[in-house]
Amino acid sequence: MTDTASSSGGIRPDALVRPADPASDLEKAALKGRPKVSLLGLGMLSPAAVLLLVFFFAPVVLTTIFSFTNMTSATGISGGAYVLSPNLLRELERSGVDSDTLAALGTESVVVDQESIAAARAAGVEEDFLEEIEDDLLGVDFDSKQDFERALKDLPSHLRRTRDLKLAADHFLVSALNTRFATRAEASDAISALAPDIAPGTRDRILDASYTGWVWTTENFRRLATQPETLRLVLNTFFYVAVTLAFNVLVGLFLAITVFYLPKGTGMVFSVLWLLPRITPVVLYAIMWKWFTWDGGFVASFADLVGLPSFNYMKGSVPTAWTIVILVNGCIGASFGMILFSGALRSIPMQQLWASEVDGASRWQQVRYIILPQMRWPILFVTCYQSMSLLSSYEQIWLTTNGGPGNTTMVWALESFRTALSNYTGNLQYGQGAAMALVLVIVGLVLSIIFLRMFRFGELVEKPKIEF
Amino acid sequence: MQTKNFASWPIVLVLTAISLPLAIMYASLVIDSFTNTPAGAVLPNEFTLEHWAFLVDPTITGNVWTVTFNTLIFAFTMVVVVLSVSATGGYAMSRLNLPYRRFFLAGILVMHAFPSVTLIIGVFLVLQFAGLYDTLIGVILVKAALTLPFGVWIMKGFYDAVPWEIEMAGLQDGADRFTVWRRLILPQVKPGLVALGVFAFIDGWGEFLLPRILAPTTEFQVLSVYLNNVSVPDSVDYDFNLFKSVGLFYTLPILILFIVFQNRLMNIFGGGTKG
Amino acid sequence: MTTMKRKITVAMAAALLSATAVAAQAEDYTITVWSGGTGDTSHYRVDAIEMAADLLEREAAVRGEELNITVEKQVWSGWDDFKQAVTLAAESGTAPNIIVTGHEDIGPWAQAGILRPVEDYVDFDVWPLNQLYDNLVEVSSYDGQIWGIPQDAESRPFFMSRAHLAEIGYSEDEIDALPSQIEAGEYTLYDMLEDAEAMQDAGVVEAGMAFAPRVSNGPDYWQFYQSFGGEMVDPESGQLIFDRQALTDMYQFFVDAAEMGVVPATYLGGDWDEWHRNVAAGSYGMWHGGTWHKSQWENQFELTDFFDKIAFSLIPAGNENGRANTITHPLVYLISATGTDDEAAIAAELITIASEPRINSLHAVESGHLAIGEAQASVPLYANDRWSTEATEALLPHANAIPNNADFGAYWDAMYQGLEAAWTGTSSVEDAVNMAQAQVEADLGDGIIIR
Repeated sequence: MTDTASSSGGIRPDALVRPADPASDLEKAALKGRPKVSLLGLGMLSPAAVLLLVFFFAPVVLTTIFSFTNMTSATGISGGAYVLSPNLLRELERSGVDSDTLAALGTESVVVDQESIAAARAAGVEEDFLEEIEDDLLGVDFDSKQDFERALKDLPSHLRRTRDLKLAADHFLVSALNTRFATRAEASDAISALAPDIAPGTRDRILDASYTGWVWTTENFRRLATQPETLRLVLNTFFYVAVTLAFNVLVGLFLAITVFYLPKGTGMVFSVLWLLPRITPVVLYAIMWKWFTWDGGFVASFADLVGLPSFNYMKGSVPTAWTIVILVNGCIGASFGMILFSGALRSIPMQQLWASEVDGASRWQQVRYIILPQMRWPILFVTCYQSMSLLSSYEQIWLTTNGGPGNTTMVWALESFRTALSNYTGNLQYGQGAAMALVLVIVGLVLSIIFLRMFRFGELVEKPKIEF
Repeated sequence: MQTKNFASWPIVLVLTAISLPLAIMYASLVIDSFTNTPAGAVLPNEFTLEHWAFLVDPTITGNVWTVTFNTLIFAFTMVVVVLSVSATGGYAMSRLNLPYRRFFLAGILVMHAFPSVTLIIGVFLVLQFAGLYDTLIGVILVKAALTLPFGVWIMKGFYDAVPWEIEMAGLQDGADRFTVWRRLILPQVKPGLVALGVFAFIDGWGEFLLPRILAPTTEFQVLSVYLNNVSVPDSVDYDFNLFKSVGLFYTLPILILFIVFQNRLMNIFGGGTKG
Repeated sequence: MTTMKRKITVAMAAALLSATAVAAQAEDYTITVWSGGTGDTSHYRVDAIEMAADLLEREAAVRGEELNITVEKQVWSGWDDFKQAVTLAAESGTAPNIIVTGHEDIGPWAQAGILRPVEDYVDFDVWPLNQLYDNLVEVSSYDGQIWGIPQDAESRPFFMSRAHLAEIGYSEDEIDALPSQIEAGEYTLYDMLEDAEAMQDAGVVEAGMAFAPRVSNGPDYWQFYQSFGGEMVDPESGQLIFDRQALTDMYQFFVDAAEMGVVPATYLGGDWDEWHRNVAAGSYGMWHGGTWHKSQWENQFELTDFFDKIAFSLIPAGNENGRANTITHPLVYLISATGTDDEAAIAAELITIASEPRINSLHAVESGHLAIGEAQASVPLYANDRWSTEATEALLPHANAIPNNADFGAYWDAMYQGLEAAWTGTSSVEDAVNMAQAQVEADLGDGIIIR
């Protein structure tokens, strides 16, 4: 590893060795007068600002909006229509709507009269066909749409294409059933036409019930607050984040310190090995763990060889499933800790270590009394940073245990993804999922504000030294 | 640090022990793609190139080269967007006077640590409004935008480290601020650009979730989605070793990049994006 | 007074223009078809559309018209991704013209306006749609309209290893008699557990391998709910039914099975591949799966002599409340609301042709699915296939389907989550039932009857 880490980007490890101090002098100076705004700056920043606005800010706003709706794959996202369906009429009847009104709304009749023939003619139905309809079917009663269509098919010059025939038949059909009215007004007119005596209150009630789109609700949050499942998810998530974090910090620390003490070449081998999980594409990484732990994989074969129980370690039991979830994520995160801690280690004055060796300190004493005390801030930083990213990451769990066995390794972020976008029954509850995502956003925001206060944010935003 | 006071072999031993699972996984990835292992055995018994036939025979898993090309375009375009926007944005953040600069920086830091994949339905709607759903360009923009907070932050760090004197000198010679940035400052942060570029490439190359959800039709299939499809056990030619070779093929470019740019990447991974 | 259907006038004029005015002009259509849950043996789900397009083009050519249809097909091996892709694509107006999916999606997707009712485009009075089984057409209907054309039928039988049954003392004749005993309710799920335990005690199967249910969520688990007397829907009102007693008994059954050690408590969420391999290797004593699995076992997992090794039956009854049963989960061809009315009409003609007995038999026999229409019994390919005919006769008459109801997905999710919780021991059976009940009450309110 090079020693440029301290001067280049990212979080400067050396800067983390000291605790936060109050806002810098420069910043205080900046408060005094308001310098000229740089137009060039605005121009240079605008691409980033636009992209972030569109792909970060807008989705957060949309998520907030969704979380207060009952949006699902059945209601659609972009709005609904007004539909009077047989099921709806039955439902209304159960809830006490007058059955005569409902019967009127549910009528489906075929009317072949001059008026309907004229309408069909106006719409361009072939003249020969219409004449035959007028001759043979005028005034005839039909029990159902199907009967009428059959009668039409018996006419000599009926339309060849099924679709055309059905479209022509539609002109003679009087029914509001199963029609998707785009607006409330259209639906209202249709109801009034079929049931002229309907009370306005009843009509509104029917219209409300007939709407297929989403409506505003706070039900999502109420449900989250009341379901016992929520608590289990929170505990799972907490357990997952805490243990993975501990793994990340401890292994990262261990790697950084041991590599620090090793000859350069040997140390390099290990740090590269531990960096691999981080750069390996997530799909491959997940599949590698499957190969490693599944029935017939390395672990199972090895366990068999030494006489331990051989089974699918990833999904076969709850403790092993958790262990693997934590290892899968932990191995990715450990390198993050390792690099940060290595940077911090290099900033420890070598003289201190050499002096301690002359005094006969053991390695452990060096680590305990010289190194670890200086690691306080990097450790705190890794903890803060990783806890946020672990909280909202789910890709690895999704691709490995997918919350199994049963639902035992399910975490909040994965459940929110599952609820909103990815489940077997195709019952995608956008609203409920958004509410769960929003909870994560809020937790993330609160944590970030706390962390920013801890880490001398003022110094990171030093004022520019040239004002043009 | 090395001294003669202590033996290093116990450390190496412990390190080897905890690194063993990873070592075995990666070693078997390489070994299995070139060998056959009899059922039930742990060690392979013969060398073969048959698992690599998918490279030339599109009947095995479909044409892998088209997919590779897609992935290359995806990752490369994303790198270009991330680099250009981060290079300008980072400079503005570091050196220029802007309203709400503090707020913006804080915002970037928050986003940096908060992967917004949980907001994917919102992202979907934005793309749909823009008419970019199910297009490669849409996924590229989203992916680039998600990498931006990190990119801007990293570039700001690099700009911060460039001495003000360079800029002062340029301005005194009569150049305007933009020329100074382009001619004098940009060359100074080249290491940062290279590192960020490689990082973004690796990140884009491995991306799975976004292409899968936001561009689900095969025309734009990228390698991650391809590999995931190949690894579905429910297919006739389900073959462990084949997947390992596809997987290795998929990772190879990244491994090479990683080895070449190792030192520079180490710096940037320290500010990484995920745990 | 005329019709209130708003869709007609414009579309009508356009349709007539295109149909009458320009007979000589070539018509070009691109029809997309997406299919979920489709693996290597079920490629005819989309390939049949291509064959149909070829036929339709030829028919047009015979009439002297030029019709060019390009079929763009895409399949998903799983359901999660597929349903997600369809719903999002529909939302953005890029859904495929033809969707091949489970019939239970009709409810929510019809409500969302994603679909066009297929009855507006095709004639169920004429060939080949007039020979489809009525109950399958019923399954493709929702809320008073026929929305889709059945694509395949199947059933989810119970399987038993003949060898392992023989090893615990069953004679050949007794094994042959088991299916009818099961049908009569004389051999219940608990009898099955005892035999499974006996197999383990006798050492003929490994511990935890005697009973191997479906490893992941699926309509199969509703079969066990029915085995204990549960009903999914009230036939009269069409309302969903949450039967506490049946659900409790069903959860308890799996908990008991886990306690007896014939199936692990952590069984759910396992690996399909592993399950198939174990079935083919004869490692399981009793299991249940789909009729189509047989072809997978034979083609991918090298199972031979199926009929000598494996007996099959309905899912046994659980107790005196329930009955032996099986669920058929037909896939359907649906026409999406995307595209023009003309495209939809072409798509509808394609799925009609794809339902021709000969074409459908290709899919049925290759993938181990069952016929969708009566005429398939006269197609030699189908009639000569022992599995297709035996399974059709033994299982299909007893098969029912899960209900088409926009809310059923939510109920299903709750049922399965409760099952997971009880099975893994995360919560007690009672708590799991209460949890599921609380969830459906929150989700569906009055839409579900709690019993």
